[in-house]
Amino acid sequence: MKTAGRIFLGLSAAVLILWLVPWLYNLATLKSYSPPFTLYSPVVHDFTYLDREEGAKKSLRFIDREGNVYGDEVQPFFYASLLHSRGEFPDSLDGRAITYKEAEDNSLVMTSRPREVAKRNPPVYLLMESVPVRMELQDPEDALVIRKDGIKVWNMASNKMLEDKTADLASQLSSCGFVHPAKLLAGNPSHRKEYDEGYLVTDSKDQLFQVKQVDGKMTARSFPQASGLGIKHLIITEFKNHATLGYLIDRDDRMHMLRPDGSVVATDVIFDPVKDNLLVVGDLFHYTVKVSDDDGEKFYALDSSDFSTVDSMDRAYPLEDEVNLCEYIFPCRIRFVSSDDGYVKPRIQDLSLKGLLADLIILAGIILTIRKKKASQYQ
Amino acid sequence: MDKMIIYKEWIKTRGFLLGALVVLTVLTAYTILNLSKIVELQGADVLWSTLIMKDTVLIESLRYLPVAVGCLLAVFQFFPEITRKRLKLTLHLPYPQGKMIFMMYAYGIIAFLAICSLQAAILTLFLRKWLVAELAGRVMRTAMVWYLAGLAAYLFTASALLEPTWKRGVFILAVTLGVMYLLFLSPVPEAYNGFLPWLVIYVLGIQLLIYCGVSRFKEGLQD
Repeated sequence: MKTAGRIFLGLSAAVLILWLVPWLYNLATLKSYSPPFTLYSPVVHDFTYLDREEGAKKSLRFIDREGNVYGDEVQPFFYASLLHSRGEFPDSLDGRAITYKEAEDNSLVMTSRPREVAKRNPPVYLLMESVPVRMELQDPEDALVIRKDGIKVWNMASNKMLEDKTADLASQLSSCGFVHPAKLLAGNPSHRKEYDEGYLVTDSKDQLFQVKQVDGKMTARSFPQASGLGIKHLIITEFKNHATLGYLIDRDDRMHMLRPDGSVVATDVIFDPVKDNLLVVGDLFHYTVKVSDDDGEKFYALDSSDFSTVDSMDRAYPLEDEVNLCEYIFPCRIRFVSSDDGYVKPRIQDLSLKGLLADLIILAGIILTIRKKKASQYQ
Repeated sequence: MDKMIIYKEWIKTRGFLLGALVVLTVLTAYTILNLSKIVELQGADVLWSTLIMKDTVLIESLRYLPVAVGCLLAVFQFFPEITRKRLKLTLHLPYPQGKMIFMMYAYGIIAFLAICSLQAAILTLFLRKWLVAELAGRVMRTAMVWYLAGLAAYLFTASALLEPTWKRGVFILAVTLGVMYLLFLSPVPEAYNGFLPWLVIYVLGIQLLIYCGVSRFKEGLQD
């Protein structure tokens, strides 16, 4: 029991050291790197990044891949309000007449982070009224509760299931061919948006559906074109321009655009929702899609009309050239939290043979010293 | 003899247990009262929305209570044993030493779990009044790690107190701090769900330190 206690205490201390010391070391030596803001320019038809050199901070300066320098007029849609206020918003671009209102209505920004995707959410989703009486979207009063035997509609104030709505939804889903339980749900139950499209839902057979509340009644719709994709992640868009209903990520991490008419357009964008960050900045002409991970960024410029790839670009982050002392001291590093998800669990990283060798030598030294001490005590 | 040991532990801790019960009840009631005020003024919808949209479980103010109860329970139970070497007398009673120690800390664990279960039952009862089972379950599953931290605090404090040498006692306390930091590392609801079974096994393993300390005490080790 005594030896077991010693081993237990020793192991506890070792785990704590392998966790806390490299963490403290990293905290002291970490240098942040922030890549320059990059967008595809519909004016020069190239990716341009924001110049952050000294002297360039006072005015917005963009640089393309050739090294040419431009002002903010190179991004007329992203800086539309600024250009409009200066009376410099263009009347036409690429031979097409454009208006400021058009630019505003078609401007969109969307982000996705692994931490949000991997988060353990409760199987309860706020349900909005898509056609509110007072025109403006109101705070939800009901919620969808996902259970193995079906989707229940719950009234939050009374904490009671709404039998009528639940039965209504069940019959609507059943007529669409929905097979319970629901697997994925994506929605944005916020009144800070133009309109509400309810939830995109996949069933146990990976078929895609849309569920929403219209005039107090539950409605369901299926998307046969999306079946067979093996959808692993869903994003509902609800952008002002109504160009898409959502983004679908298939089993091979390919991104598809779901149009409001139910058609599905495959893009060249490869995005792993549980590992990569996604940023979509769209305008009247193009969507700039940035997919980034710990190593770098991949940019896609998609045509706004058909989502075909116009251009793409890779940017690798600079490698750290400083010596990491921890790899010479410790055989590995233990981390309990990650920026990719919210879970606490042990993650063994940065295995190092050099560290293991150094630790074995130190351990052998300690054992020899103790033995020598004991031997001299007996003599 | 078993009854006598339990009675001895009861005499040492009854005052503290009563006080802990009162404090825990008052603070739990205060938290519930706050939530009921929100429901009264803004409706239960606000509780639902907050739980669904934000990384909170609404009862965060209670998170460190089990640790405080666990620590103090161990102090009230084992500090009298180490003053004037009363433990020596306890271990000389005609009763198996291992079983004696086990009875002592088993009493503490049961007392701690009884208090925490009462609090958890009260909280579940009120949360279910306002929330669907899935959301109330999320709150209570998140609180599980707080109770586990309390149990770990009890066992670690007991083993540090029963450790005869101060150097190792301080070392145990340092490890305790590290483990406590780990158990309160993430405020994200249900962040520990997958790791919790392993943590339960680890916390049960802390018992070994108690036996180790007692065994060293019997050997006459001291500073």
